[in-house]
Amino acid sequence: MNTTKIIFNISLLAGLIAVASCKKDFLDETLTTDRNMEYFKTDAGIQALAVGTYYQVFALPFASEWAYCTMNYGVDEFMVGGDPSNGSWNNYDAGYKSIVTINNGNTATANVQWDTLYTGIGDANLLIKNATASTSTSDAIKKVALGEGYFFRAYCYLHLVSQYGAVPLKTEPSTTIEKEFTRATPEEVYKQIIDDFKQAYNLLPNASAPARITKDAAAHYLAKAYLFRASEINDTWNSAYKAADLAAIVPLCDEVISHHPLTTNFADLWKYTGPDASNEKLPELILSAQFTADVSTNGANTQHLYWGSRYDDISQMQRDITGDRPFSRLRTNYYMYRIYDQVNDSRFWKSFRTKYRLNKSAGSYYVNGDLGIMYVINQPGDNRFASYKLNDVVLYNKTNKTIPNVYVAFPTGVNTDGAMLVDVRYPPLSKHMDGSRIAVNETRGLRDMNLARSAETYLIAAEAKIRLAKLGTGAYTDALTYINPVRARAQFVAGEDRAAYYDGGIAQSPFGQSATINSFIPENSYYESNNIPVTTAASNNLAITDINALPAGDEYVIARLGVSGDYDRMLALVLDERSRELAGEYKRWEDLSRTKTLVPRVKAFNTQAANNIRDIHVLRPNPQTYLAGIKLNGKA
Amino acid sequence: MKQTIACRRYALLMALFNLFAVFSFAQTNFPVTGKITDNGGSPLQGVTVQVKGAKVVTTTAADGTFSLHAPSGTAVLVLSSVGFTTKEVPIENKGQLSITLSTADNSMDQVVVIGYGAVKKKDVTGAVTGMNEKDIKSRPVDNALQAMQGKVAGVDIGTSERPGTVGTINIRGVRSLTASNSPLYVVDGIPLMTGGIEYINPTDIESIDVLKDASATAIYGSRGANGVVIVTTKQAKAGRTSLNLNLSTTAEKLIDREDMFNAADYITFRRWARYYQAPTTYARGDQPTIANDKTIFLATSDPSAWANIQQGWASGTWDGSKVATTDWRGMVTQTGITKNLNVSVSGGSEKAKAYASFGYLNNTGTTKGQSYTRYTVNVNGDINATKWFQFGTNLTVSYSKQEFGQSKTGATTVSSSNSLYESARALFPYAVPYDSAGNRIYNPGGDIAFKNVANEWSLNQDQRVTLRAFASIYGQVDFGAILPVLKNLKYRVNFGPDYSNYRDGTYIDANSVISSGANSASLNKQQTFSYTLDHLIYYNKSIGRHDLALTLLSSQTKFTMDSNLIAANGIAFGSQKWNALSKNYIPAANLTGYASGLLESQLQSLMARINYSYNDKYLLTVSARRDGASMLAEGHKYSWFPSMAVAWRINNEDFMKNATWVNDFKLRFGVGVTGNSAIKPYATQGAATSLFYPFTTSSTVITPGGIPPVTFANQSLGWEKTTQYNLGVDFSVLNRRILGSLDVYKSKTTDLLVQESIPTVTGYTNTYANIGQTKNKGLDLSLTTVNINRRDLSWTTNMSISWQKDEIVSLSNGKQDDINNNWFIGQSIGMIYGYQSAGIWQAADSNTYLAYNTKGKTKFSPGNARPADINGDTLIDANHDRVLIGNSRPRWIVGMTNTFTYKNFELSIFLYGRLKYIYNTGGEAEVARGTQRSVNYYNENNLNADYQKPIYSEGSGDSYYVVLGYKSGSFIKIRNISLAYTLNSKALKTNAISGLKLYAQVVNPAIVFSKIGWLDMDTQLPTYNRGITFGINASF
Repeated sequence: MNTTKIIFNISLLAGLIAVASCKKDFLDETLTTDRNMEYFKTDAGIQALAVGTYYQVFALPFASEWAYCTMNYGVDEFMVGGDPSNGSWNNYDAGYKSIVTINNGNTATANVQWDTLYTGIGDANLLIKNATASTSTSDAIKKVALGEGYFFRAYCYLHLVSQYGAVPLKTEPSTTIEKEFTRATPEEVYKQIIDDFKQAYNLLPNASAPARITKDAAAHYLAKAYLFRASEINDTWNSAYKAADLAAIVPLCDEVISHHPLTTNFADLWKYTGPDASNEKLPELILSAQFTADVSTNGANTQHLYWGSRYDDISQMQRDITGDRPFSRLRTNYYMYRIYDQVNDSRFWKSFRTKYRLNKSAGSYYVNGDLGIMYVINQPGDNRFASYKLNDVVLYNKTNKTIPNVYVAFPTGVNTDGAMLVDVRYPPLSKHMDGSRIAVNETRGLRDMNLARSAETYLIAAEAKIRLAKLGTGAYTDALTYINPVRARAQFVAGEDRAAYYDGGIAQSPFGQSATINSFIPENSYYESNNIPVTTAASNNLAITDINALPAGDEYVIARLGVSGDYDRMLALVLDERSRELAGEYKRWEDLSRTKTLVPRVKAFNTQAANNIRDIHVLRPNPQTYLAGIKLNGKA
Repeated sequence: MKQTIACRRYALLMALFNLFAVFSFAQTNFPVTGKITDNGGSPLQGVTVQVKGAKVVTTTAADGTFSLHAPSGTAVLVLSSVGFTTKEVPIENKGQLSITLSTADNSMDQVVVIGYGAVKKKDVTGAVTGMNEKDIKSRPVDNALQAMQGKVAGVDIGTSERPGTVGTINIRGVRSLTASNSPLYVVDGIPLMTGGIEYINPTDIESIDVLKDASATAIYGSRGANGVVIVTTKQAKAGRTSLNLNLSTTAEKLIDREDMFNAADYITFRRWARYYQAPTTYARGDQPTIANDKTIFLATSDPSAWANIQQGWASGTWDGSKVATTDWRGMVTQTGITKNLNVSVSGGSEKAKAYASFGYLNNTGTTKGQSYTRYTVNVNGDINATKWFQFGTNLTVSYSKQEFGQSKTGATTVSSSNSLYESARALFPYAVPYDSAGNRIYNPGGDIAFKNVANEWSLNQDQRVTLRAFASIYGQVDFGAILPVLKNLKYRVNFGPDYSNYRDGTYIDANSVISSGANSASLNKQQTFSYTLDHLIYYNKSIGRHDLALTLLSSQTKFTMDSNLIAANGIAFGSQKWNALSKNYIPAANLTGYASGLLESQLQSLMARINYSYNDKYLLTVSARRDGASMLAEGHKYSWFPSMAVAWRINNEDFMKNATWVNDFKLRFGVGVTGNSAIKPYATQGAATSLFYPFTTSSTVITPGGIPPVTFANQSLGWEKTTQYNLGVDFSVLNRRILGSLDVYKSKTTDLLVQESIPTVTGYTNTYANIGQTKNKGLDLSLTTVNINRRDLSWTTNMSISWQKDEIVSLSNGKQDDINNNWFIGQSIGMIYGYQSAGIWQAADSNTYLAYNTKGKTKFSPGNARPADINGDTLIDANHDRVLIGNSRPRWIVGMTNTFTYKNFELSIFLYGRLKYIYNTGGEAEVARGTQRSVNYYNENNLNADYQKPIYSEGSGDSYYVVLGYKSGSFIKIRNISLAYTLNSKALKTNAISGLKLYAQVVNPAIVFSKIGWLDMDTQLPTYNRGITFGINASF
């Protein structure tokens, strides 16, 4: 037997088969259904990337709970409602560290804000790099897309530096896996932010606000960045910049204000009648995160979930679309009840829901549509109500029936804050309510989220004037020029129904639930709370004329904080005015942090956090996932 | 069946031998007579009796007697008979002999499929365990995986009680952190790319062989890391035609080990919870007031539930026994009936053979709304067209319809559970489904989070239909039959197309438990097609005592899946279900999802294997495979997977000659490298995420946009590799009364394919990377003992025992733990990490807990769960006080079958267990918003309780209640008891039926022991199905 021959034959055959079956390109993987990163180098891709970054930077944060955890928890305005899923973010307790202790699946982790912002920066870096490299001469690429890129990056870094202080500064997109980073000083980060906003300001046109980033938006945020850099938290290093920064703010604000007049009626800002309603297109709005009904759009605004207080577990009430799913995350603090001139300032009544219609009547006395719940937000010294909770006692003068559930801020004899705190009931902030959702338990909300409006621009300018006065430029009263217009708009005008009220509940969706199950009622408890006769006269002028005699609400806060001196009194005023105007608009924590008023204000007004907050809480700890993920010289 | 063929051949040979004997002349020195009987004492007819080394031969008569003349009184007789072990008996000058022959166990001649070929069990060099048709048929099962549970050492199979759903499977534990840990399935030589083996009718399976160690699985290279399950379906056989009929019916009942609070106990529990939430507002649980109860039990929200509670107040003082308990769980269960019918025919000649079968399975689940129907057809045939060419096809088609029942699929509600039964369990015992007017109550008990399950089975449908067609087609050329010089050289081509069409339709009514209030429907379709094309060359050669076999392979595989989906809410009317998602009925705004997609992947391989044996004593297998996968990065697609194994059949050595009590004794050692490329296609392509963003100016413009993926595309992604060493021994002793295999193994997995978190400062969240190392070791023992073996009575015990331990060696940051993923260096994968329990705080501990409250801002009070302060710093913090609680994967998996036969009866009892692991039951939240398992909870009258005090909450109550929930998961249960009665044609007095078997089986009759009293740790749920099966097996 010729073994060699056999082996030869086998090898030959094997070789033939192998050759025949091995096509060289058989293993090539071609992705035909998605674009890859090369696309972002084309002109169409650059524009697509800009649009995608709108989603990442503006819309995505409002799809989860961390947005309010990082902005509205742990401040003077709000604290934990009935549900403590994210309580650590408010309470600064043992669970609030570089790892936030997970309570349940809803708990926002320590890293999610950080990760979302840096992902936005990564997108912006790529956008800037590709738009810069593009040979296009089109304004759409070279001006708009590039300007948007600079804006996004600065916007994300402004949040990062405000929340964490020193953070890594990355201005080039990553092309390999990088693990070595060092933190830049806040000074370096602010320099980058201001340079970027300046670039955006120079490149961007003024068109399509508030959906698109405009020159005005860049101006507003540039002014804000200057103000932040000039704030107390940076006092160890910012003296070289302060004067110039503050001087630059006012002209920028004036420019923005001239293009974005205040809406006449404060309530119109919140009169949401359906997706893309007219309240989302008002000239006052400078920039908004966009949401709409079309399900092909990514992102959902879930913030309607978090502000509501429980109404659906009360006698003769059930959950409905107009009342939202009351996740009870954010409870309105007594601070908010005390800082307004509740008779003349319409803003409290236009920002908070104080009445609910009965929507599940039982027995023969009440019928659906009767007044079911009323919050009486009165002031100390009111002796009309025996208890903070009155069931079937208080008469409703329109029907002459009793009201099943009445909650009272100051019952007889209680002159200190807190009577209602024993229960989970509170009048919820109504700015984010969304009745246009498709079903009663639907989480996907369709309302736009306002990011910047000119009322804030006024208050930025006002604060700059106060800070300039402290530096010796101008007088403290200069600030009033910018505060008073905002206050004037808050007045009731002649002929106005002071009890008129609307929120997102009027956008009641036709789906899923009978329209008769409706807890929304277009009125508030203005008259029941203030106990004054019905009037359609214009309210008293709210304008401040004397900085030594501030409105009663502000003097109350100043007294509680124990501050004195023109500057501190005026700073308190402007922070109070921001509360009155901008409560719940995802700004507060950064404003208190940068002005170093976080600790005293939380101690004074946030009873849950008062005993826990310490000076280190003025900035947030870098998340543990970042600390664990980085390496130094190749080592962990 | 293969065994019988081997026996027949042997008989033929012997018959020929006898023929020669007739013509031989015997020497007549020493006359011997004798009688031969079997173990039971019955005389054996036709036993060949031969004088060793001489031509003297005779056979026994009907009474078992024989007589012959041996050459001398010291001669040795060789006794042989079909079905019995050949025996040598020295005459020792005795003229009369009485000899017993024992039944042969031909297990060593059984054929074992090892991948691209089959070898006799005695020639196996790797760790391969199998089960044959008889084992598969021994229990009534819906699919092959169920049949394997507890029967194959080293294989851990979970249980799923949902009809049509298969459990999880792990072979020799786990080694991958995030890549797949499921094995490769090979059906009739074709590795499956699409799904598992659940579509195969178990009665069509001839055998299942599991390749466990790397020396065996390396033959499948890149896909062998998690073991290989080789299924061989029944093939036609030459010879007698046959008809087989199987009929069985199973009735099952859902058994719940968990006791829930009845209405009265729950009411008390909730009162306590309210009391502990706000002691100043609510009265103590044992001092109820009707006014309090009105608030606590949402009197106005659900007046019907309140009316029930009021019965307890009828006399003015509270009497809980007057409150009726609603049996919500009973409302959603039913007796599950499984009907199983199988018919198969086979027949043929040496030239052409054919087999055909039809199977019908109908299983209505024990929970309403769940069912599974499957039709299977298997047709195969082989034709020897010429002397040198053989062609065969095997086609399996199955059509199945699964009514999945209520699950989380399509859920949009506040809270939803995985099954209707769980939803029912969550309902308040004091609430009722219908009000006094007969109207369905939407939220019984008045809490929005809990919806009525009544009639849910007609409000929620999730119907999954799968059509699967799988074929294996081969052509084989025997070159030796063409050219004598090419003797023993064969070429074979295998082609395995596999097609699957899956359709999932869901309809959820607005009133369904899992609806948010709007009705919705979705239609999801997937079509997959994959094929494997193998070219194989086989060559065998024997030179003297050297036997050599060579296998060469070239293979390519392609996988294509296209899918589409449409989902919408606001369906116009319910009868449309998912069948009218068209623009005529659904406005664009109601669409909630629409998608289509395409996935393609390819694999290309070359393989060579040499099987060599010397003198039937020393065996060697060497193989090498080179695989390339399309989903890996360019330049990293290919890798080598070598293996080597040796075996030594010690019992064939001369020095073992005298150890007649040893029948077989083989030592094996193997080492091999296998891979894992289980990442999704396109992971290295950096696909951009596309999206739409709505810019609203005067009108809304939906604008397309894109962002980079969150996963950084790693351009150097390669194979995950496992190197495994295996040392094994196969033995059978004492006339094969004790036989088995013992394997010990050790493996190391490197370049783990892990989705690694990277600092987001890069702009990316994570990437796929080859990082880290794990190792794994273990032991598998299969043991069969024949305890009693008499004519009418026998008792056999089969045992499979496996132990395994895995360990993480290194991770992305080297030797640093990855707490975010629960990965710890030096610990097993799947460790439970958390606070340790120190019991419950008692009032007497006030100094201690107040110290914690002051320093750590905790809110401990008597009755709270008490976490252990590991570092003793009077602070409970996540960084210093969390410890490794235990391993969540069982160390031991045991199975034992005892089979008793008496005359025609056969009784078999199968026990199954998993031992030595910790199970996280989650503790008892005791927030009392929902209903509650009946637990021994802390209250003022019960200070030494198992669980903490209840605190009413809509979020979380006790901060550390989880610490009380870690329990030992060990259990052993009786899975099955089977009784069968067999009749042959003689007993039946007819030739029309050749065999008839009647059987009855009880499934899950009892749990022998379980450390957790309220869970069946087999299903890891409180519930399991207990059932009884009656069946007939007839062959004609």
